[in-house]
Parts: sequence; structure tokens; C-alpha cells
Amino acid sequence: MNNKLTKEEVLHVAHLARIKVGEEEIEKYQVELKQLLNDVDKIKEVDGYDEERMIAPWERDAVLRDDEPGEMLNPKEVLKNAPRHSGNYIAVPIVISEEA
Amino acid sequence: MQFLDKSIQEIHDALKKKEISPKDLVEEAFERIEKSKNLNGYITLNKEEALKQAEALEQKDAGDNLLFGLPIAVKDNILTKGLRTTCASHILDNFIPIYDATIVEKIKANDMIIIGKTNMDEFAMGSSSRTSYFGAPKNPWNHNKISGGSSGGSATTIAARDVLFALGTDTGGSIRQPASYTGIVGMKPTYGRVSRYGIVAFASSLDQAGPMTRNVYENALLLNVIAGMDDKDLTSADKEQEDFTRKIGKDIKGMKIALPNYFRSDIVSEEIRKEVENTKKILESSGATVDYVDMKYLDKAVTLYQIIAMGEASSNLARFDGIRYGYTKENPKDIEDLYLETRKNGFGKEVKRRIMVGSYLLSGDNAKIYYNKALSIRDDMKKEFDRIFKEYDLIIGSTTTTTAYDLTDPMDDPSKSFMDDVLVIPVNMAGLPGLSLPIGFGKGHMPIGLHIIGNSFDEATIYQLAGFLEKKLNLNLDSRKGEENV
Amino acid sequence: MSNYLPTIGIEVHCELKTKTKIFSNSINGYGQMANSLTNVVDLGYPGTLPTLNKEVINLAIKAALVLNCKIRRQMHFDRKNYFYPDNPKNYQITQAETPIGYDGYVEIEVNGKKKKIEIEEMHIEEDTCKSTHRGDKTLLDFNRAGVPLIEIVTKPCMESGEEAKLYLEKLRELLFYSDVSDCKMEEGSMRADANVSIRKQESDPFGTKAEIKNIGSISNVKLSIEKEIERQAQLYDEGKTFPPQTRRFDTKLNDTVLMRVKETGNDYRYFPEPDIPFVYITDEQIDKVKKTIPMLPDARREKYISLGISEVNAKKLVGHRSLSDYLNELLEEKIDFKTAGNLLLGDISAYLNKEEKEMKDTTLTKERFMDLVNKVSDNTLTSKNVKEILDKVMTSEKSIDEITKEAGIQNITDNSAIIEMIKKVMEANPESVTDYKAGKDRAIKYLMGQVMKESKGTLNPKMAMDVLKEELNK
Repeated sequence: MNNKLTKEEVLHVAHLARIKVGEEEIEKYQVELKQLLNDVDKIKEVDGYDEERMIAPWERDAVLRDDEPGEMLNPKEVLKNAPRHSGNYIAVPIVISEEA
Repeated sequence: MQFLDKSIQEIHDALKKKEISPKDLVEEAFERIEKSKNLNGYITLNKEEALKQAEALEQKDAGDNLLFGLPIAVKDNILTKGLRTTCASHILDNFIPIYDATIVEKIKANDMIIIGKTNMDEFAMGSSSRTSYFGAPKNPWNHNKISGGSSGGSATTIAARDVLFALGTDTGGSIRQPASYTGIVGMKPTYGRVSRYGIVAFASSLDQAGPMTRNVYENALLLNVIAGMDDKDLTSADKEQEDFTRKIGKDIKGMKIALPNYFRSDIVSEEIRKEVENTKKILESSGATVDYVDMKYLDKAVTLYQIIAMGEASSNLARFDGIRYGYTKENPKDIEDLYLETRKNGFGKEVKRRIMVGSYLLSGDNAKIYYNKALSIRDDMKKEFDRIFKEYDLIIGSTTTTTAYDLTDPMDDPSKSFMDDVLVIPVNMAGLPGLSLPIGFGKGHMPIGLHIIGNSFDEATIYQLAGFLEKKLNLNLDSRKGEENV
Repeated sequence: MSNYLPTIGIEVHCELKTKTKIFSNSINGYGQMANSLTNVVDLGYPGTLPTLNKEVINLAIKAALVLNCKIRRQMHFDRKNYFYPDNPKNYQITQAETPIGYDGYVEIEVNGKKKKIEIEEMHIEEDTCKSTHRGDKTLLDFNRAGVPLIEIVTKPCMESGEEAKLYLEKLRELLFYSDVSDCKMEEGSMRADANVSIRKQESDPFGTKAEIKNIGSISNVKLSIEKEIERQAQLYDEGKTFPPQTRRFDTKLNDTVLMRVKETGNDYRYFPEPDIPFVYITDEQIDKVKKTIPMLPDARREKYISLGISEVNAKKLVGHRSLSDYLNELLEEKIDFKTAGNLLLGDISAYLNKEEKEMKDTTLTKERFMDLVNKVSDNTLTSKNVKEILDKVMTSEKSIDEITKEAGIQNITDNSAIIEMIKKVMEANPESVTDYKAGKDRAIKYLMGQVMKESKGTLNPKMAMDVLKEELNK
């Protein structure tokens, strides 16, 4: 069993998770992540199981809510914990627009 | 006067007769917390508010509410409006919630007083509370030992007898395992029994909050308060209100109990196996039957847990991005920089590792190979439990494989924290209720816990057995005296 | 440019007309103060959980029914994981595995031939928040976050921009008429993306796909597809290839521009949403929803034509929902529908436009409208009369008779009076009479004009013409 991920694999999962991995950390992650992946690979040994899934131990079906409005936040409360805001808006660094 | 050492009934009577007031209890609790400060059980104390709330209760009649005016500690991943909630993480270390978790509303409505927010593993990821951004809590029985995790702070403060009640959460043993390590009673209720609304999600299909207390009766009392369907949580169960204390004190004659062979295999230390065998004998001599049984899939539970918990966590923790709340990278170059640096600096090692692995497990074809397969096996595992519960009332085993280990033990093995929970994880997989009860002590007088597993929504029978054993064993579980014994 | 076979698939997002959002009970509204229609669930606060709006399921069932989709009886939701600032949880709750509707179709008419546009699937999901860009910042408004959407995905079965346009018009009409959505493209309550590829002939594999995102109007969907086909054809003609890509339609350039080249398969890390248990849909529920579907556009057009309304007017009426709904209240009555249609589309529409009113804002009850229709069809009132009295008809409660009387309108419907007038005109214009008899058709128009003049417009023109002809042919 290989005991290290490649650098590229580490950077790929770090990108998926949006976690920056510094050059100095890569090697540590190569080993640690691989160990966890080796752990979960044990699932491949299991066969003869039934395909039916348990998404969660739900006791009931989804109970649907009536379409009646409830309480809402005041815009001030919306901004309360937001580190950047402008007027009533929460702000982020400019994003190249996906919208036409 | 040390009222917090008295029985719940004595305290209640004293409150009713106005011999003491809720304020006295709150002050006493804070004195005790101050004294045990070095245990690092709390992240945030709620002194001012707690005293204010206690004063407000002076005018109110306790009625027959046994929990009236009693201080309670709340794990720091349960949202408390206006009171900092950090999840023991840098990314939330300045986060002041703008709403209360449903269970917090419930304890407030029952006139309990929140004394503070307890220490834990960061985002409940870990088994020793050592991944906390605020340093690990210590085990009151031996300050060089861990108190377990992730609800380590709640376990610590109960074992230290600072307060009588604490809330914990349990995704893969995080109530029961620290309860076992610290000699207290910890219950993970059936999935859906307690609302998850306002509890910071780690793994949505596994998380469940529950009571941590010094004894069985008080545990059931607190579950009475926090249980119940919640319109805000579609996964909460629609069950009639019941009194979980109702079977405590009842005889166990004729009770059928299963002891899976896996739970007494050599993964469990000898001293613990011996204690469990001892308990088995007590149960048998009290008229119960205890059969060894074989159960499929128990040895696969950790693998399933790793896949499901890390997969769900990677998605649940995506919302911590430095935009709407929490820590944020100052002056980011662009949006990517904001994400990458906020999450790099905001999360600790264990959390980052799990999010990365979780992201990998759900990416591309992996979702099928790992996640969906894990859900299928999980379903089989639940059916295996169902099979046992057709014949038996309860399942027992030990809660942990060893007693609490040293705070200084190495943390560099990423699998270790999962293996600490090998015996308690199957219960989360199947959504069943499970409780850890102190049944003795191992080397260095460190507590040993019995794990009692019940059928879905049959917490009452667990409390019946636990209450019976507690009385029969009559252990001295006060760590303050325990320490002198070392 | 050589000939190519285009293949087009369309994805449409429609906001559902509910009072509250899909997963929270904050208000689903448009055009309000930024961040005033939100709660902790919409903001993706830690610890929050979704609830599920009943009306969303009902409207989605309705949409599935009008789009001829099969309806799934057991479904769950899934999480689509991607980081983007308009995505509060950094995952979107959607339906990837079990879309509520599938295998549907919409019928369009292309060059007189009917064609079924096949719908692959239709699923429920939540909208993102709205971002606007100002200076070096992007500003986020969470009012739109959690607004319920349905996404409707066709098979790659269209062959031209025109077909895409017809499909979208039909889709909009269906969803609008069934009260599923406002379908206002200008407000973003209906949004379309088009997937376009071309190939030489049917036996070839599909060409490389370009996705044109978020096109702001139906006519621009058509135009952008045509431009994109042209662009791809030119590249192929030059022997060039291109990577799969996402483009947008630039309204200033009137052309599509590149947004980004697609990465090898977007990695959305879908998995089943553990926070929402299974949703079951029963036959009873479907039947109940079915009963709430009003008469749909095709059926309306057919009905109107069968009642004697012209095809053009039938189409126009259906294009004007409130008029069509008004007319539908009268379908069982015995009136001249041709006249009713003309009145609604003519003078009444003009009045409503001018006054910026809806039918419901006027006093024109069904009874008074029918009275008006009857008076016009039996020639009691001329169209000139109608114009004179319409303001009153639409604002007062008085009967049409009273209004007519008050306006001093006394039309000549007595034949002898008409004959008298006609004879007078004929005597005064003998040469025109001679011309007419000599076969000069134009002469009758002149005579008719003179008759109307003589009567000061109090004659019914059709009636007068009939009598004039009779007299001339004597």
C-alpha cells in the first residue's frame, strides 16, 4: 500500500476544500491524508451488502410547512456578524460576474 | 453551605422553602468553577447574565420543576443568543449568535441558568478535546489525563462537581466516551429525539445532543426537558412526551441483555473486560439474562463513520468562509484568497484534515465508491441491530477500550481519535440511544464506563438498567475525593 | 459557410410564486430593501436547518403536470457543493438523484408542423443571493437566497434559434397560465441557458458544446443561438476546433462572448441531503393539484376559435391573460363571441392601456359587458357609439341603456327612414348612380360616404350598405 499522496493530489483536495496548504505543509498532508484514505479503503473489502441506503436514521417523512411568513431579521442584524459591509449589503472582494 | 453536593430533591426543597435562592446556587457554581479553573473546562463564562437571570427567578415559584434555578453548562457548539459560541475554533472565536438553539430555548423556558460554554474538540472533531483552540480540558480524576472528547469540557465540569447539569453532543461517541473517562453519566438519545436546530452541524445524520450528569436520575430529568419534536428540525421525531425517569428504580428481573463478542474482544483492555464481566455477573444474579452474541458489521463501524462523518463535515463546514460571520482574512487580494486564507488560518489541523479527506470522498466517482456504499452498509448495520432487539431488551459492552490516557500522548496519528470511539460509533450509525454509566475504576483509579444501548426511542429502559446498576454498585464518583485517593 | 446541423438544449430556471421561501419562512419578494427579507436560515447561519414549504411541492407538481412530466412519488434532496459568494452555505440544496418530474414534453408549432420538445427532467432547488458589483466590491443581497426555483431541462432536441424561441414562449405561457411563476425574464424570475453544438450530419457524433448562460430575453435566446451557430460554423470551416466552454450574450455587442473554458467535469460533490427526510407524493395530492389548473393556452385558443373568434384574435386574447380570464367567465353564455373578442381587444384594451387599469378596476360586470356585446351585434350601437360611451361604461354603474340615452344617441334602425335618406342622396348624385349601374364599383363607396354624412353617423354602416345596394339594384 502506497503511504503517500502525490503533491498534486494534496493540492487538488485542498482546492476542493478551499484550504490553503503552504509549501511547508504539503509533505505532512501527503502522509496524513493518505493514512486516512487507507483507513476508508477498508470499505472496499465489504461485499454481500444490500444496496438500500440509510441517508440518515429518519423517524418520519418530511413534514411540509404551510406557506405562511414568519419573523425576519432587520438588515442591521444581518450585518451584525459580517466582517465587511456596505450600506445594507454584505460585501466581498469583487467577483468576476457570472451573470450577463 | 455546599448545596450543589446535595440531592436534586434536597436542593429543590430548599429552594421551595426559600432557604436558598437560585442566586446562591449560581454563586456557588461560580466559586467552584473558579476553584477548578485549572481544569480548563470552560471557554466562556456567563457570570453577569447568569446572576441577572437568577435574580429574575427570585420572584418565581419553583412549582414542581425539579430543575428550577439550577445552573447548567452548555457545550460550545450549541448556539446561545448573545453569548459567544466558538466551537473551540479560531474561526468562530468572536462569534455572538443572534438566535438560541431550540434546546437552549427549552432549558431557559424551564428556568435553568446557563453558567457558561464548555470546552470541546474543535467543531467536535476529536476524542480528547485536545484539538480545542483554547487548550485541552483536564480530567478531574487525574490532571495529567484527558477528559475525553469531544464533549470534554462538559465531562470535566460535571466530574469536578462545579454544576450538576451539562449538555453535550455526540456524533461518534462524544458524550459517552468522555463520560466514561470522567466517571459521570452521559446519554446520547435516539437520533431525532432531541432537536438539532441551533447546534453547529458536524455530521448531520449522526449528531445528537444529550445530557451529561453526575447520576442517572438527573440525567433522565434533563432529557425530559430537551426532548421533543421541533418544527425547525425535519429530522426530529414525532413522539409523545414521556417521563424518562419512570422506569428508574424498577426491578430488572427477566430483562434480556445481549453482550456482543466484539465488545469483549482483545481490542478492549483486560481491566475493562474484567469490569464488564463483573457487571454481567451482577445482572445475572439479579435475575436478568446476559447472552454473548455475534453481530455483523460492528468492526466496520469506524470505517463507515470516517466516510460519512468526514463527507458530511466537509459540506457542513463549507459555510465558514469569512463572509457572513466569524474570522476573516484581512485585506484579501480577491475572493479566492479570502476563502483560502480564512479557512487555512481559521481551522485547526484536525478539522482541516477531515474537511480535505471528506471533500475527496465525495468528489467524482468517489461518492459512489465510498459515501453511497457506506450508506448501504449502514442500513445493513441498522438491520443487524434490529435483529438483536427482536430478542433482547438491551445491549451492553464497555464504553471505551482503555481508561483515559495522558494529555501528553502523541497526537500525530490521524486514525487514533477515531479508534478511541470504536465501541460507541455503531450506535450513531444506527441512530440508537446509548448511555455510559460508571461501573468501576482501573489502574490509577481512573473511571471505567459501561455502555448500555437501547432500541430506538427506548431510552427509558436504558435508564432502568443504569439506575439499577448505579444503586447496586454504589460507587463513590466524586472526583474531588477520588483525587485524594490517588 | 457550409451547412451544419445545430443541436440545442435549453435549461430554464423559474422562480415559484409562493409567499415564503423554500427552506425558510421568510418572505419571497422582489424589489424590496436589500437584506430585509431574510432570516438566519437564508443566511446559512451555523446550526440552522431547512424546513420545506408545502406550496413549493404543490407548484412543482403543477408545473410537472402542465409540462406532461411523470411525477416521482418518493424523492429526496441533494447537496450540490461549490464555493461562491452568492451561495450562503457554499452548498445548494437541489434534486440531483430524484427530480420531481421527468420524461415530459411541450408541443410547439414550427412552420405549421407540430413538434414535441422533450423535457428530460424538472427539479426543485433554492435560488442564490443576488450580487451586484460596485468598485472593487461585490455586494450581496440575501433577499433572493432561498427563493424556490424549478429547473427544467430539455433533451438536446432543438435545431434552431427559432425553435428555442417557440419553446420558451410556450413554456412561459404554460407556467404563467398555471400560476406556477410570474415568468418575468426582466426581473429574473425566469432565466434561460442554452447549450449549442453543431455537426455535419445526423450520423456524426455531437459537436463540442458551448453553454450560453443567463440570457435576458426570449428574443436574445434566439439571437444568441444563431450567433453561436454562426461562430462555431466559421471555426469548423476554417478547420479549427474549440474547447467546451461557457459563454454569455452581450447585449451591446449583440453576440456571445467567452466567460470561461469548462474544467474537466465540474466537481459538485453531490450527496443526499441528510437534513430533509423523504418526501412522498400521493395520487390524491396530484389530483387535488390538477383541479387547480385553469384552462391552458392551447385549449383557450381552440375554444375561442370554435366560438367564432378569428385565429388572430384568439392568439391575441391568450396573450393578454386578464382579458382571456374575463372572457372565460362567459364561455357558457349565448353571446356573439366574435363581437365580444373585438370589443375586448379593441376599445376596451385601448381604454385599459390608457388608464393603466385592469378589468377588475372597472365597473364592467359580466352582465353589463354581455349587454354591450348584444347591442353591438344587433346593430343597436355602432362602433362610433361605443367609443363615445366607453368611459362611462367602464366607470359608472348605470345600465348601457341609460348611458346611451344620456349620451343622446338615437340611432336610426328604422328601414323607412334609411330608405328616405338614401333616396335623397341618389337624387342628388344621379351620375354616381349611373356609374354604379355601368359597373363602376367605386361609385358605391362614394354614395355610401354621402349617406353616412347625411345621417351624421347615426346609421349602422352595414345596415345602410345593404339597403343602398337594394335601392341601387331596383
